[in-house]
Amino acid sequence: MAEEKREGDKKVTVFSTPTCPWCVRAKEYLHENGVSFEEVDVSVNRAAAMQMVDKSGEMGVPQLWIGNEVVVGFDQEAIDRLLNIK
Amino acid sequence: MPENEYDLIIVGTGPAGYTASIYASRYKVKNLLIGESAGGLIGESHKVCNYPTEDEITGLELAAKMQRHAKSAGAAEILDRVVEISSFDNGYKVTTQRNGTFWARAVLLSMGLRHRKLNVPGEKDFSRRGVAYCATCDGALFYDKTVAVVGGGDSAISSAVYLSDIAKKVYLIYRKEKLRGEPVWADLATQRDNIEIIYNTEVKEIFGDKFVHSIEVDPSYQGRDRLDVDGVFVEIGVEPGNELIKPLGLSTDDAGYIKVGSDQSTNIPGMFAAGDITNASDQFRQVVTACSEGAIAARGVFNYLSKHSVSLDPKLRSKVVTTSK
Repeated sequence: MAEEKREGDKKVTVFSTPTCPWCVRAKEYLHENGVSFEEVDVSVNRAAAMQMVDKSGEMGVPQLWIGNEVVVGFDQEAIDRLLNIK
Repeated sequence: MPENEYDLIIVGTGPAGYTASIYASRYKVKNLLIGESAGGLIGESHKVCNYPTEDEITGLELAAKMQRHAKSAGAAEILDRVVEISSFDNGYKVTTQRNGTFWARAVLLSMGLRHRKLNVPGEKDFSRRGVAYCATCDGALFYDKTVAVVGGGDSAISSAVYLSDIAKKVYLIYRKEKLRGEPVWADLATQRDNIEIIYNTEVKEIFGDKFVHSIEVDPSYQGRDRLDVDGVFVEIGVEPGNELIKPLGLSTDDAGYIKVGSDQSTNIPGMFAAGDITNASDQFRQVVTACSEGAIAARGVFNYLSKHSVSLDPKLRSKVVTTSK
């Protein structure tokens, strides 16, 4: 998985499943705004799924790690704020 | 026509909205689709097996195909939340959360429905901590666990079947004595060894600490009031959201579904409705009926616009833009 960065070297990781519409929307939104990200499919990567749940305390996707912050769900306002998308 | 002005704004990007857009474009009705995610609730279906030409397709794929078709036919699309619709001049003003304001001579409401909640103690507290409303979204996180699916319709049964491939055990809990979904789905569920169907039973409370660990059922099941589960998928149907509808003064039935005429028109001139949100199609809420209503609505809009060849006054519109900011 390529590591890519933006906005003050904030690393963006998207935890998703292939069948989740809001995951698709979140990834589309990042693409639309030129944000590169690492994608983790938690339907196959169980270890990453556990890591994601441990960190956020929430069992739902998508989850985005933006720098040290966690965004649960497709929360466009939080994504915009953390990545300085205007 | 100015950039932010359309003949028709379609609120909702599900099957009804996309089909209406395809037809509207072919009627040369300049249209804009606005919705939060492509497909709406159909995007959450793990399998659609009753849409003609598609033996079996995921809801996400079907939605993507409809979206591509609508765009190639000429639609503009914005993925955003509509926060207000109001009458303006000879048409309507539609305000979005992030993309500003748009104007149109007609509006089609096709924003679909939202998941109904169980409204039992613990549901809200454990939302996203074991309580979920979309098996295809969050099901993968319950690998080798025990889950309960609450409901007895197509969504509940298909979710149980989907989850049975992931979870160790699935309880399908329904308050009536017979599943009401398509018999094909019911057969699939009864054939799965790891699905246990519990009839005539309600979930009364959801318990957990960090995450869900059990549910209380009524009446007790095999002598137990509580069942140990790691997840609860609530699939007890859908209901209309009233936030946009109420301020408009639209005529609805007792359950909040928009009343429409045979051309999908509402009681408000220039405002149409199609898809799950209406009381049409004998309330048989399917992808194919939503598409049908979308097509009929597009023709209704075309006829309406042909008879009411009014245009919005650009000066008046500019004035409102200035004052609203």
